[in-house]
Amino acid sequence: MTLRALIARLAPLLACLGLLVAWQVAALALNNDSFPTALDSIRAIPAILGDKEALINILASLRRMAIGFGCAILVSIPLGLLMGRSRGVASFFNPLLMMIYPVPKAALMPIIMLWLGVGDLSKTLVIFLGVSLPVIYHSFEGAKAVEEKMLWSGAAMGLSAVERLIRIVLPAALPEILTGCRTGLVLALITMVTSEMIARQSGAGNILFNALDMGQYDAVFAMIIIIGAMGICLDAAFERVRKRLVRWSEPQFDIPLSFS
Amino acid sequence: MTGRGITKELLGLIPIALLVAIWHGAVSFGLAPPTLLPPPGLVFMRMAEQLVTASFDQDILATLFRLFAGFLIAVVLGIAIGLAAAVSPSINAAVRPVVRVLAPLPKVALYPALLLLLGFGHESKITLVAADALFPILLSTYYGASTVEQKLIWSAMAAGTPPREILLKVILPSAAPSILTGCRIGLVISCIVVFLAEMITSTDGLGHVLITAARTFQAVDMFVPLITISLLGLILNGLLQAARSYLLRGFPEV
Repeated sequence: MTLRALIARLAPLLACLGLLVAWQVAALALNNDSFPTALDSIRAIPAILGDKEALINILASLRRMAIGFGCAILVSIPLGLLMGRSRGVASFFNPLLMMIYPVPKAALMPIIMLWLGVGDLSKTLVIFLGVSLPVIYHSFEGAKAVEEKMLWSGAAMGLSAVERLIRIVLPAALPEILTGCRTGLVLALITMVTSEMIARQSGAGNILFNALDMGQYDAVFAMIIIIGAMGICLDAAFERVRKRLVRWSEPQFDIPLSFS
Repeated sequence: MTGRGITKELLGLIPIALLVAIWHGAVSFGLAPPTLLPPPGLVFMRMAEQLVTASFDQDILATLFRLFAGFLIAVVLGIAIGLAAAVSPSINAAVRPVVRVLAPLPKVALYPALLLLLGFGHESKITLVAADALFPILLSTYYGASTVEQKLIWSAMAAGTPPREILLKVILPSAAPSILTGCRIGLVISCIVVFLAEMITSTDGLGHVLITAARTFQAVDMFVPLITISLLGLILNGLLQAARSYLLRGFPEV
């Protein structure tokens, strides 16, 4: 049994390894100049991470992402919970959110750049916009599904409306909210890369697309590995936090169910 | 009930109207220079003008073609892999870790690789759309198919239904609500991704229209493709909703 448990734990690592091997074989088979092998790309990683400027760039990207993500969560969760508990608020905001949803947030980048410049502010704002929608949506769904009886008992025990929202609705909707946050985390990374690609000034996305423009193909693929690893590590770290926070809830699927 | 429905819809129009009003007010009171923020009337006029020109229509068609091609590939692959993983434990063991690794990967970062491998044409964009839309559909199919009530399957087996028909006539229909939810998320993602891909490298499509306008600082022309993709998303979402209520007729709660 322990062997099986060990295999289950190592499965994601094995999957990574398998994908890298598949890449290596495909690259060797195609033998294309613009498609370096996995080994070559991995060898190019230390050169990027060792470069001080590149490292500062990547850290700046992460900082923007953290700020945008944090602000989005602080605004979206209360709004989503309010929408879930009050029909009026929900029908007030729903059509507006429906209209904004299919607009690619990174596509707002050129317009926001006109107003706020190419600096940190516009990139953080775009990340904020990208993260808030799924978090609002999931908080809304979570708050809607809270059992009425619990709220009635809370009201009978003399909790005010605000207290009920914080002490009953928030914990009850927490699993759903965290699913939304997890989706938001991946979206933050995506928006981060695309915003830096449009405003070529600094950041991880800038390194990636500059390497593409200059034809440094092993650097392109090395950057892809770095960004991918960032995504996987952030997701895994968030999953740990989530498991601790909602230990009491039913065991859920360990893979996120929605990705919008 | 219909009266309440109408007031609900009207309530929802308020923030949209407010947004347009603030937009208009900001321009007409001189808070924002019209070169940076063109008045809404001008944008909508420009949009009506553009919609009848052949070149803009072709851009819309190019975007729609990539969107649908990528989305359909994602739907077919997502439902097939999701069902297979839910039904067979050995496929599940193989698919699960790969999905865990690939799902949180930002796919846009893969786009340079796709460009190098598949070229600058339709193929790389369609692949990117398919790769991004695939996971929500796959995961919700898997979730829907693995939570099918076991009694339904047992009854079908007791009635002598062959395994393939159980899959098509019991598991697929009862997973349908979940699958359609996944498709809806996948559709929104497809809209977003096709636009982004066209912004990065393209010679046609709505994203290209936006980038051309941004490079020449035509603020009015920048708003037109954004509003167009928003409307396209709304229309497609409405169509999917209609398909959903048709496919799920007879289900207790849609």
